[in-house]
Amino acid sequence: MHHRAVLVATPLLATMGWAAATHAPSTPLAPGESLPDTLVAPPILEDRAPHPRTVEVTLTVAPTTVELIPGQSTDVFAYNGRVPGPTLEVREGDRLIIHVRNDLKEETTVHWHGLHLPWQADGSPFYPIPPGGEADFDFVVPEGSAGTYWYHPHPHHRTAYQVAKGLYGALIVRAAADPLPEMTEKLLILSDNRFLPDGSIQVPDEGSLEARIDFENGREGDVLFVNGQILPSIEIRSGEVQRWRIVNASAARVYRLALEGHEVLHVGSDGGLFGEAIPVEEVLISASERVEILVRGTGAPGSTALLQTLPYDRYIPQTRPRDWGQPRDLVRLEYTDESPMGALEIPEVIRPIEALDPSAVSATRIFALTQGFINGKTMDMSRVDEVATLGTTEIWQIENLVGMDHPFHLHGFSFQVIERNGVPEPFPKWEDTVNVPAHETVRFIVKFEDYPGKWMYHCHILDHENFGMMGILEVRQP
Amino acid sequence: MKTWSTIVTSRRAALLAGVLALCGTMLAFTQTSPVGTRSDENARLQEQVLRGRELVISHGCGGCHGGVDNPAAEGWLAGLTSPAQEFRIGPCGAGGDDTCFRTRPRNLTPHPTTGLGRFSERQIFNALRYGLRPGETADVEITSSTPGEGSFPMFPKYLAPPMPWAAWRHMPDEDLWAIAAYLKHGLKPVDNLVEDSEGPPDFWASAYTEEAYGSYPLRAFPGPNEVEPGPDADRDQVLRGRHLVVQHACGDCHGGLTNPEAPGFLTGVTSPIQVFPVGPCLEDPDAPCFMMRPRNLTPHPTAGTGRWTDQQLFNALRHGLRPADGPDRAVTPATLPDDAVFLAPGMPWMELRHMPDQDLRDIIAYLRHGLKPVSNEVEDSDRPPEGWRGMYETMGAGTHPAAPFPTSNEVGG
Repeated sequence: MHHRAVLVATPLLATMGWAAATHAPSTPLAPGESLPDTLVAPPILEDRAPHPRTVEVTLTVAPTTVELIPGQSTDVFAYNGRVPGPTLEVREGDRLIIHVRNDLKEETTVHWHGLHLPWQADGSPFYPIPPGGEADFDFVVPEGSAGTYWYHPHPHHRTAYQVAKGLYGALIVRAAADPLPEMTEKLLILSDNRFLPDGSIQVPDEGSLEARIDFENGREGDVLFVNGQILPSIEIRSGEVQRWRIVNASAARVYRLALEGHEVLHVGSDGGLFGEAIPVEEVLISASERVEILVRGTGAPGSTALLQTLPYDRYIPQTRPRDWGQPRDLVRLEYTDESPMGALEIPEVIRPIEALDPSAVSATRIFALTQGFINGKTMDMSRVDEVATLGTTEIWQIENLVGMDHPFHLHGFSFQVIERNGVPEPFPKWEDTVNVPAHETVRFIVKFEDYPGKWMYHCHILDHENFGMMGILEVRQP
Repeated sequence: MKTWSTIVTSRRAALLAGVLALCGTMLAFTQTSPVGTRSDENARLQEQVLRGRELVISHGCGGCHGGVDNPAAEGWLAGLTSPAQEFRIGPCGAGGDDTCFRTRPRNLTPHPTTGLGRFSERQIFNALRYGLRPGETADVEITSSTPGEGSFPMFPKYLAPPMPWAAWRHMPDEDLWAIAAYLKHGLKPVDNLVEDSEGPPDFWASAYTEEAYGSYPLRAFPGPNEVEPGPDADRDQVLRGRHLVVQHACGDCHGGLTNPEAPGFLTGVTSPIQVFPVGPCLEDPDAPCFMMRPRNLTPHPTAGTGRWTDQQLFNALRHGLRPADGPDRAVTPATLPDDAVFLAPGMPWMELRHMPDQDLRDIIAYLRHGLKPVSNEVEDSDRPPEGWRGMYETMGAGTHPAAPFPTSNEVGG
């Protein structure tokens, strides 16, 4: 049995690593017990379905005005009137019905980022929702897909703008039986934006040098948000362990997350929990990726620590921002004055993940990423770039030929990275986006199961995606 | 006010010389197996590769990208291998400090991830003809140099200086394709990742103006700095020479860049910014420098090339002999005078010498008969007491003619 206790979180172990093993008793927070944080989680979308295994929700996309900068009003696009949008929560195996109404004056789509679903329901640019139009999505969330996902618009050439205007929200697929013990859970949706003095969202004029720099880097904002809040706080009790689900909803910014004075356990990625917990001092999360970490309250009662994003050079030299080397504060972790609480056991093996079989690979495809192009081409909605056969397994080799990072995203099918620059990946995990650093090569293995259709693959720097750094994979019946 | 182009010009020359000076440890390789039998298609490719090789050598690609003019040299076209090979482009070249961009010669070998193996021949062609960075420009045929038209990017991203694409673009299509063929098919891949060059966020677009670099194609001869050749000259030869002078970027140092209509075209130093240092100071700021002063190439009888005979000019281009000190007779490497005085570094005669005799004579014909004489007196360049012979002997240059194809760095067939 693999459920040997490997972690006991107590302040007495504050100077020890996560690997320190004890057998102290487990005393998790009671279900529903929470501490009065300033971090506000977006509300859960109301489920109107009468059936227990069906979730039926409504999303309305519309312009509205909200307060993003304290004391200022900002015109935004919003899902159900708020930024970020409400959280869509389902259980694996549920039937999910989503009614979307578009009250914008432009086309939009809603892409359920990372989910394995029929291609017509993917919210890709093939199925735009016209202004004033409605669309219904109806699909089953697969068993085994428990994890943290998100939703955002995906209209061709307009994704970056619509996300910048406020359209993004989290989607959580809960496991029927979560392998992690119950503990306080936090959702942190990271985003950034730029504002004019009047509080309006700043988007540079087309053709301006600033717009061109945005195209190169992907648009970054100088104001960093967590759930639409600036530097909110999370309270934690000394000794407590919290589970943080983190979504990078930024257009381009890579977050190199570090919690001052804390080591954390990295327990999950795009496609859910890992096989085992990895103790880390920092976590890199590129645009559109998600991570799950366990934060152990090793600080003393009454103390404070900052969750920061540390400098990460993902840029080409010509457009590297001057302040890229400055750490930025995201969340203030504040310890209550309560006495330390007891330990919490984390299983050594969280969720066994079977590696996809390389001997079953029927094809290897190479994708060369340059600045704005994949294999030298930009997106053409009428063109199919790659054809694969349903049921087959392939290796995709992503070669980044230029001097900045590109996060590569595949719709519809999660994959397992097997190699980075020829170095085997240490363990299998599920991802739908992989950051390919400058001049590096990543290979992943993917199996095209269940759903034929046309699927996008693209750089998830939204400005690059807008430009057309995207292609179409058609999965066909054998 | 200093412009990018003027700063680039002087730094290019200065640092090119610095790079050349670092090549003293290059090793010579022996020739490998001869080219074997090939299909007609392969034979055509091989012909193209050999033509490309000639052009690569005579255009001095190795001066920055490695190996000087010697295809057998270690690091031939493999790009930057030492930080000392970086260029610093910008106001720091005129005394500033932190406002320079570091630019780095790329790996031109066909390595699939670190070299040009990543890019198509068309992308290489587009780089040479239009100056477009291959990694950031679509792999398409470009039919215009106007942004947004004919597949020319709306916001072009240009190669970093001192890559002289504005000169190379004037080469005929078949020559550019030949260079691309040589780089893709005539070289062994070398795994050498060169860090990306720095540059302004407009990717030098504001530096590469038509005013500075002239038009493509060139405007009709004669321009304001030029004259119709007299009856004793061959006009066609003069025109060929004009193209060769532009294609080989003589104006980058001697004035006017690649624009025959620019003020000061080939008139030599007219501004202190055109004077550049060569010598140990490039590596050690406290070490001595020798100041280089590009000559007046117009046919002025006392200030320009009118002082010398065609044979003296030919000897300068073929053998690097200073016309003022060189013999007015044909020489060979074996018959060079013991007291031969060589041109100052920066002048890429070691590459130019690989041009065919006729090309060198065409260049001389243009300088002699196609330019208006300008009375611009240029002070002699500094030189060490022993002259430059020792440096040229140790810098790792190749031979003339170049080592037979293929060397150990090349692949034949």
